[in-house]
Amino acid sequence: MFETIKQFVFSFISTIGFSIIFNIPKGLIVKSGIVGGIGWLVFYISSQFFSSSIISTFFASLTVGILGELCARYFKKPATVFIIPGIIPLVPGAGLYYTMLALLEEDFYAAATKGTETIFIAAAISAGLIISTTLSKSIRRANTK
Amino acid sequence: MNNNINFDRNQAKRLLLLAILAGRIMLKNGAETYRVEDTIERMIKSRKGIKFAHAFVTPTGIFASLEYEDEVFTYLVRIKSRRIDLNKINLVNEFSREFVSTNMSIDEGFDKLKSIYSAETYSLMLNSISGGLSCGFLSFMFGGSTMDFLASLIIGFIVVLSVNKIARYKLAFFINNFLGAAIATLLSIVSYTVGIADNMNTVIIASIMPLVPGVAITNAMRDTISGDFVSGLSRGMEAIFSALSIAFGVGFILNIYLWRIR
Repeated sequence: MFETIKQFVFSFISTIGFSIIFNIPKGLIVKSGIVGGIGWLVFYISSQFFSSSIISTFFASLTVGILGELCARYFKKPATVFIIPGIIPLVPGAGLYYTMLALLEEDFYAAATKGTETIFIAAAISAGLIISTTLSKSIRRANTK
Repeated sequence: MNNNINFDRNQAKRLLLLAILAGRIMLKNGAETYRVEDTIERMIKSRKGIKFAHAFVTPTGIFASLEYEDEVFTYLVRIKSRRIDLNKINLVNEFSREFVSTNMSIDEGFDKLKSIYSAETYSLMLNSISGGLSCGFLSFMFGGSTMDFLASLIIGFIVVLSVNKIARYKLAFFINNFLGAAIATLLSIVSYTVGIADNMNTVIIASIMPLVPGVAITNAMRDTISGDFVSGLSRGMEAIFSALSIAFGVGFILNIYLWRIR
């Protein structure tokens, strides 16, 4: 439990850092930090249930997407303001690095494994975003009709 | 909706310019293309006497035209450099809502957009400090020790600072990311060899995170879903090439290091 809270705090602060790099308006920094923190929490908890990090990344990016769309609706701001910083901790920087490392060590089997995993993590992020955005758009369309 | 009395040919032309300026600010600061198209069309259609308005936006250019009293005006604007400033997107978004719902004159609109164009961003120092903080805490999230945290904190600060400095020379984005990743890797290796960091891999991964193409991935997906396949593809290419350039930057330095210790 303590570890979970620690993970939330870490991801909260690092998301806030990224939101300053991306010049998010002052009033929204903490909100986007919370979105990113919850997204990482979903990743952290679900990675204890599933052996592959691909499915956990999918759930996390779905969470970030849905929360971002909800915040966008509620605060009347573009959804990307919340989604972009929240997505960053999920982007497979580690996979990218280990693929390169394996390539340099001429361990092509590991490179293929890691490279495929990296591509699939990126695809999982995209799939999570696709589903949340599509849901939000279809709900909006149904409401305006 | 609005009844502007002096809405003549010249005003229609200026309206188109105003809408394109709004779109240009958004696109230059990393907005999705469907949002830019939407903003331009909404702003033009909000004024009386416009029969037809359409905008076609790609990440590298804006085309927009409107028809006013049997006359068609078309403008084309090319976008060359892009950076990420979500605050400006937010401000233009608010501005366009206000413009559409009120009877704001076009000159007033230009004044407001100009002040948005030169709106302040966070200072370079604050940017770099927050970059360092995020790298430090990311290394904790990836399982690093306290020493790794300290190393990533300092390296993240230097990486964000130097990438911002390099960006002033307006090099290709590929070279920018390449240099950033190379600096991050070099400093991580140095800090590991000196004995500051315990785990070199964690420090390298945490300090390349400010460079990863999160915005490109997000926008590519959002553009593709809204049916803008051209923009989606070109943003997807941007994401792939940013990732490749980071990998090359890391690989370049790492290769030298591995060759040295072999």
